[in-house]
Amino acid sequence: MKLKDILSPLRVWERAAQKPWTIKDPINDRPGATNYRGFHKNDFNKCIGCGSCEEICQNAAIDLVPVEGQETKDGNSGLRPMIDYGRCCWCALCVDVCPTGSLTMSNKYTWVADMPEEYRFVPGKTETKWQESEKGYKRSEDIHLIDYERVEMLEIKPEKRDKSFIEIVKGYNKEQAMKEAERCLECGICIATCPAHMDIPAYIAAIREDDIENAFRILYETNPLPEICGRICTHKCETACALHNNGESLAIRWLKRYIADQIPSEKYKEVLGTEHLDDPKIGKSIAIIGAGPAGISAAYYLAIMGYKIKIFEALPDSGGMTRYGIPEYRLPYDQIDKDIEYIKSLGVEMQFNTRVGKDITLDKLHKDYDAVFAGTGLHLGRSTRIPGADNKRVYFATDLLREVSLGNEIDVAENIVVIGGGNVAMDITRTLARLQNKKYGKIQILTTSLESEDIMPADREEIVEAREEKAIIDPGWGPKEIEIQNGKIKGLHVVKCLSVFDEEGRFNPKFDDKQKKFFKADMVVESIGQGMDLSYLSEDIKSNLKFGPRGRIQVNENFQSNLKWLFVGGDIIQGPDVIHGVANGYIAAKAIDGFLNKNDKRRKK
Amino acid sequence: MEQILNRIKDKIEIKISTKKRDDLYFFTVEKEQIEFILSYLKEQENFTHLAFMQAVDYLEDGKFQLTYMLYNYKIHINLGVNVLIDRKKAEMFSMHKLWPHIWQYQREIHELFGINFPGSPRVNESFVLEGWEEIPPMRRDFDTLEYSEKTFYQRPGRSTNDPKEYMKEKMYKNYADTPTIRREK
Repeated sequence: MKLKDILSPLRVWERAAQKPWTIKDPINDRPGATNYRGFHKNDFNKCIGCGSCEEICQNAAIDLVPVEGQETKDGNSGLRPMIDYGRCCWCALCVDVCPTGSLTMSNKYTWVADMPEEYRFVPGKTETKWQESEKGYKRSEDIHLIDYERVEMLEIKPEKRDKSFIEIVKGYNKEQAMKEAERCLECGICIATCPAHMDIPAYIAAIREDDIENAFRILYETNPLPEICGRICTHKCETACALHNNGESLAIRWLKRYIADQIPSEKYKEVLGTEHLDDPKIGKSIAIIGAGPAGISAAYYLAIMGYKIKIFEALPDSGGMTRYGIPEYRLPYDQIDKDIEYIKSLGVEMQFNTRVGKDITLDKLHKDYDAVFAGTGLHLGRSTRIPGADNKRVYFATDLLREVSLGNEIDVAENIVVIGGGNVAMDITRTLARLQNKKYGKIQILTTSLESEDIMPADREEIVEAREEKAIIDPGWGPKEIEIQNGKIKGLHVVKCLSVFDEEGRFNPKFDDKQKKFFKADMVVESIGQGMDLSYLSEDIKSNLKFGPRGRIQVNENFQSNLKWLFVGGDIIQGPDVIHGVANGYIAAKAIDGFLNKNDKRRKK
Repeated sequence: MEQILNRIKDKIEIKISTKKRDDLYFFTVEKEQIEFILSYLKEQENFTHLAFMQAVDYLEDGKFQLTYMLYNYKIHINLGVNVLIDRKKAEMFSMHKLWPHIWQYQREIHELFGINFPGSPRVNESFVLEGWEEIPPMRRDFDTLEYSEKTFYQRPGRSTNDPKEYMKEKMYKNYADTPTIRREK
């Protein structure tokens, strides 16, 4: 016998003083294992009511029900899962799929109740003994049923793009698009957030099925500018995406672009079934002021309903701000043309270089047409009105962007300061940086905004890309004075901005005058917001028209003004962005149709 | 363990071999070699213990994968031997002569995956599914939801909501429907 054999039994005593692992009273007290799949828990602060749990349940044990106190809002349906424990088999697929991680399980598995109906309840709402329990099954952190990573979008490298206006984003190919489309959970929560309420899950499902023509038809149901929106939409839908709670949201905008890019112009009519539109036989015609997204959208939907449309545009080409405000490297002009040429081909007439109020009066349009839609946009710049802002080398961003699009040369200075933190500020910064690089071979542009980095209104990728292109972004400063010597700009004095809004959320910036900076410049661009130009309204119409807050024309939910024949939409009412314009035009088109039909009925009586 | 793997590689061709942990290895062999390799591992390389056996349905590839999980008490290594078999010809040699207790696993796999093991004792007896009439439930083409809806009645008074429709009703009920295109008659 070895010594080991004698000593081994004594090792048992090692644990003599330890707390036993066994349970004292297993009849009454029998906790499940730490990772046990017991009754569900749901954290209402995280749950968005997407219904993925209901979708995956192999026993049809889950219903989505409204719960008092849970609000239906952007990114949250307000519905919550109700589980029927008569059917639940505790497989935990619902926990594994939950995109927010709100749904977990406790380790509680025994429970006695008298009424069968008590076994059907909403975890998180109904009071349970296990709702605070820390133990129980949770989704594994390293194994996911959902793919949280977006298919990467290829872009042209900064050093290759900072001298030219070539489009930066390359777009998905078929393989990439189908892979990205696979990630969609089809919960449909994004639809409410999209101002045009596009059926996003439906067109993404069509991509997965590789039925691009059907996807394209779905786009046109609510948005006639897919090439434009597929590139520069503010994509609020992506912030509502269920995946956004735990990872990268679906690239909805790029998928939209993928669809539109696949259909060549010459196939548009065939795919959309507009080859043989009824010749405008309704005999009614509508004038539209402004060939921007709102006007074009209204024109498209009115045209397919059989109306005769004429658009009056002050600038030499169509597209409004999408052409004259957004730089070509984000939205190439031929893509704007692709969207708009199709709408023109449906018989929509466009008269350019015609400013309503100057070249033709609104009264005449009222007289000649059955209804008028005005989508004139926000083309006027706003000034900071600080000392020195009246110098001739101080510009508005919108004016400069328009000049670039018109092909006119800009006298670009060697040192430029841009004031503003929105997307327009980024657009002018990056445009001027390119022009500087072309002219001087170097970039010396600085952009400053009141808002600090974390609350800058510009899209994150715009700020990142501007910096990649060697522009300096220095946010959180309030402009004080533009220093002028002998009529020439020396630079911009700024002081630290502590907060932009007051406690009630009103614009009321606070500054710390002790922290100062001076930005050297010989040209200053202001990009602090845009104003509307209402000069197309005659004095007579103006005095009869009702105005709402901030000088906006008052319209009802159908974008109809108190002058029944005048509809107004787009940036001057909502936004500013393209997709609100599209949505406004769409609603107005339906409303104009309703308005003209109603008039008909009255006359017949 | 590397030496053992090398000795095996001298004898047969191993398709895929992976090391998951310091004490956990897997490799895949051909169906025809399974009897030889398992008896070799048991008799020559001290993998005396069959811990369990399991199956996976690779529906898309038209294959079942069977895994024999072995354990070596001398060197404390787990070894999984995988073999892929044709889904249409779901049949495998019975290994009950090497490990008598394997009959129970084979009976279970026979019932849940419909893979037959001719010659295995009591292989046709029900394991857990008495009176089962559907296709074997662990096959991936078995529709669990459909079966569940067909078999278990719904508690009355249940109703559900589609988030998409519900949000429309709550948030943008009056948003216009798509205009119909007026075409030539």
